[in-house]
Amino acid sequence: MPLPSAVLEPSTSLLDLDLKAIWQYRELLYFLVWREVKVRYKQTVLGVAWAVLQPLMTMAIFTVIFGMFVNVPSDGLPYPLFALVALLPWTYFSEAMSRSSVSLVGDAQLIRKVYFPRLIMPLAAVVSPAVDFLLAFILLLAMMAWYGLSPTWGIIMLPGFLLLGLITALAVGLWLSALNVRYRDVRHTVPFLTQCWMYASPVAYPVSVVPEGWRVLYGLNPMAGVIEGFRWALLGKQSPDVGIMMVSVIAVIALLIGGVIFFKHMEQTFADVI
Amino acid sequence: MNELALRAEHLGKLYKIGQTGEHHTTLRDQLMASTRALFRRNGRPHMGSGTLWALREVSFEVKRGELVGIIGHNGAGKSTLLKILSRITRPTTGRAEIWGRIGSLLEVGTGFHSELSGRENLYLSGAILGMPKAEIDRKFDQIVAFAEVEKFIDTPVKHYSSGMYMRLAFAVAAHLDPDILLIDEVLSVGDLAFQRKCLEYAKRLQEGKATVLFVSHNMFAVKALCKRVIYMADGQVQFDGPPENAIQLYEGDSRLSMAPWARGMLDADRSKRPIAITDIEVLDEHGQSRCVFDYGERMRIRLQFDASESVTDPNFNISIFRSDNVPCCNYNTAMDGLSIPSLYGKGMIEVLTPPLKLVAELYAIHVMVWDAKFQQLYSAQMGMTFHVRHHLLSPHFGVFHEAAEWHWDPDEGESFLMHEGHTTTAPQQLS
Repeated sequence: MPLPSAVLEPSTSLLDLDLKAIWQYRELLYFLVWREVKVRYKQTVLGVAWAVLQPLMTMAIFTVIFGMFVNVPSDGLPYPLFALVALLPWTYFSEAMSRSSVSLVGDAQLIRKVYFPRLIMPLAAVVSPAVDFLLAFILLLAMMAWYGLSPTWGIIMLPGFLLLGLITALAVGLWLSALNVRYRDVRHTVPFLTQCWMYASPVAYPVSVVPEGWRVLYGLNPMAGVIEGFRWALLGKQSPDVGIMMVSVIAVIALLIGGVIFFKHMEQTFADVI
Repeated sequence: MNELALRAEHLGKLYKIGQTGEHHTTLRDQLMASTRALFRRNGRPHMGSGTLWALREVSFEVKRGELVGIIGHNGAGKSTLLKILSRITRPTTGRAEIWGRIGSLLEVGTGFHSELSGRENLYLSGAILGMPKAEIDRKFDQIVAFAEVEKFIDTPVKHYSSGMYMRLAFAVAAHLDPDILLIDEVLSVGDLAFQRKCLEYAKRLQEGKATVLFVSHNMFAVKALCKRVIYMADGQVQFDGPPENAIQLYEGDSRLSMAPWARGMLDADRSKRPIAITDIEVLDEHGQSRCVFDYGERMRIRLQFDASESVTDPNFNISIFRSDNVPCCNYNTAMDGLSIPSLYGKGMIEVLTPPLKLVAELYAIHVMVWDAKFQQLYSAQMGMTFHVRHHLLSPHFGVFHEAAEWHWDPDEGESFLMHEGHTTTAPQQLS
């Protein structure tokens, strides 16, 4: 008798990641990302231009309010560029977080009727906004050329920072999407959470305005590390504080492990509750 | 071939009542509930009255190439079992082992996105069902041809007719070529023609050595397709063996069960209802017990009843429902001019129907007792089924077929043609 191709039993282990199953379903991941990208700008007049317009308009508003009226310091960089470099990872992150939080509930029909590793859904939701990010990135490079700035060699570290942002969004998305299946309160919480999180991240202001004593606490926000990393890699600002980065990375890993355990625990009843 | 396709050992599934997703608990409800629970701890959080074993100690084995029917009443656990086997939900206890790829016709059309084209949906849906892209590439032309949507393959499916949509969705599912196919006929969407298509597909797959598990309420289909039937009740396997015996048990249990729509209108306890139907017999015109009737034959339905209290002016109703739950016709004493002033105790009442003009299908008999004005329901029971046979008439022809009177006069037609010829030549003559 050959080994069974599937064994169905109550889950017992705490961290049963089942990476093999996710690998088997990697093509589904690809198709779900592709669906998101494809459907996102259907029936819009401006289409994919939205991906570029959103950060561009936010940059304009920030420049007028924070750059001109409030006169927020920008570490000696032109404020529009200073803001846009931060807005790119931030827009990506907030999109990834909000899309992944509704990823399971938005496809309830699938969850109820078909088996696949459920982790694929929040995963696809955090990968798909990366396409928007890439489009906006072209705009950023054009802006930098306009200001006569060329990226430093630190640009090779950029994918690393983006990955850190992706993992952060995934970690939060795992918690939120699983919670959302049971408690629809999440839907109302996410916009508020996004807003709070933006104030806690150096998007409109530099980390240098944060008092020394608060820095380590501030570093607990992984997006602080990601955004500082972007400014460093692209604009050659002083390198990010290694201490802060370490705190960020540890915070992300803790959040991710917790998220996976929680998601896996909740996963067993998704189809019954959704 | 003695290889196993599937083995279930002591499978159980516990549901918390209210966990059905009908209303979404909010965090506030949950917080309040857990606060309350703190104050009245009983130490057994999962065994309270708010739980239900939808499945208990279910064990069976299915060999490769077998076609097994699963029958049972609503709530017997059939759908829960299929959900566990298709890995949508996990069992609470026990384990199941599966050898091969599982497919199910539950999934038809899931994952379709209305904004995407037929081609895009085909790939998406295939990937969701677990087909590798290379396999979809290979079967693409075949699927499109099967669905008969070649011309519209690059049109968004929101512009498809519902028939085209279903055909494409089914075509994808039908090309999955699973080793084990699960069919829940009770839940599968679509009309009778579509359900037939599913059955044909199941049969074809099985001939190709696939294993099929077939959940159905249609005893004729079960009898025709399966050599082995599992009868479930109360979440447990009651019988596993030849279809005749399983169906006998099923029909014995279902004979006098309450019609599902009457729940909430009647007391669940039969003895508390004013009148109970204790037996339903389906007979032919001459009083012989029967369950298959030819189109045009008359049918005798004999009811035994027991009125525990005096019921005045009762109105006995017999409704005939097609197997897809389409109500087809109704005979009742009030409209047919039989008045019964009052009833008490045991008795019998019989109806001889007019010639049955229903199309060939499976039908269920629901028996109801109302008051004369259809205001109060005294009893509503169901269970007996019968089949109508006809070589041509099917639900494609409608619910029933009755001969109509046609009129065609060949002489009038000819004169009309001549007349027309005459009028066309007339203006020429005038000019």
